[in-house]
Amino acid sequence: MPQFESHFFSSLIFWEIVSFAILFVILYKYAFPAVLGILEERERKIKDSLDQAERHRLEAERTLREYEAKLAAASKEAETMEAAARERAQRLMEENEQRMTAEAERIKGDAMREIDQERRRAVQEIRAQTTELALLVAEQVLQRSMTDADHQRLADEALAALSKSSHR
Amino acid sequence: MEENPLHPFELHNFIPINIGGLDVSINKAVLTMWVVVALVAALMVVAGSARRLVPGKLQSLAEMLVDFIRGIVLDTMGEGGMRFFPLVATLFLFILFCNLVGLIPGSYTVTSQIIVTAVFAFSVYGLSLMIGFALHGAKFLGILVPPGTPAWLLPLMIPIELISQLARPISLAVRLFANMTAGHVILGVLFGLTVSGGLLIGWLPFVFTIAMNGLELGIAFIQAYIFTVLTCVYLGDAFHLHGHDEHAH
Repeated sequence: MPQFESHFFSSLIFWEIVSFAILFVILYKYAFPAVLGILEERERKIKDSLDQAERHRLEAERTLREYEAKLAAASKEAETMEAAARERAQRLMEENEQRMTAEAERIKGDAMREIDQERRRAVQEIRAQTTELALLVAEQVLQRSMTDADHQRLADEALAALSKSSHR
Repeated sequence: MEENPLHPFELHNFIPINIGGLDVSINKAVLTMWVVVALVAALMVVAGSARRLVPGKLQSLAEMLVDFIRGIVLDTMGEGGMRFFPLVATLFLFILFCNLVGLIPGSYTVTSQIIVTAVFAFSVYGLSLMIGFALHGAKFLGILVPPGTPAWLLPLMIPIELISQLARPISLAVRLFANMTAGHVILGVLFGLTVSGGLLIGWLPFVFTIAMNGLELGIAFIQAYIFTVLTCVYLGDAFHLHGHDEHAH
């Protein structure tokens, strides 16, 4: 086989080592640090991005929980307030009713008393007028010479008037 | 000329050079090495200088290769093995591009020269021995005794392990050389059949050459990969010695 022709060995070995050394130095100096660097940088970036996304997710979850808690608290507060308002309204309504009833009772009582007073005063007035009328009649009768018949008639008339006014 | 499938492996010196009695003449294989060095250097330096976070095509290719080798190094040697990354990566890229450039018709497959693969294999193995003795001293001889071997088996195990150690560089060199040579021999034979078969029957071996070329592309990659993985394994063995570090293997 041509590969075993040993007179090419020295040049192949020499140039292999030289070529490899040159390539090694070039890559070691100019290529590997850059390529490895960019790979690591990208890995770090991706990892950072994932970490950040995870952090944001946790934060969002926490905020959501906070808001939910706040919402629940607010809703509970609103319920309490509503119940209190309802109770107060009820109480006010009841108070109003009581007050109205009392007022109405009072007005009714006042009216009754007034009516009663008026009636009494009217009766008294009538009595006084009746008496006055009787006196007037008596006076007229006395000024004229009256017969017995006149007396009788006048007395009857007075009595009739009296009874009529007292009945009214 | 077509009748000899070994013809593509023949070398002829273009420029005879002699340095101190050492023949370092330029031939086709040497020129191909230079082409490979230029290609790899250009690809990696240009791609590396881009340094874009969202890579272009060339940068993606370079990053893919580098990431691939980094994966091999980390898998076989762990985080501490990254100090060998430049060496392992250069070795992988050099062999891969030698294999690939060799597939271009009219070029030369440097890795089909046993001496080229042998220099790599023995250098890698020698380096692993140096690292082993430098890190572990005489205890590195313990690599000849697999962990958990009973004492009465030692006279049997040590020679076996010694042979397996010595077989490492030889198998490493021969595997790559044989694969590269065999592929090109088969292609040469098929082409020979195509030419001598004529139009009537010649298309059949020609179809096979197309399929073989695809296969050779895969083999070019796989052999570079195997060479690199085994390099890492040997270096890792010397580095960790019986896997003291759980990252090894």
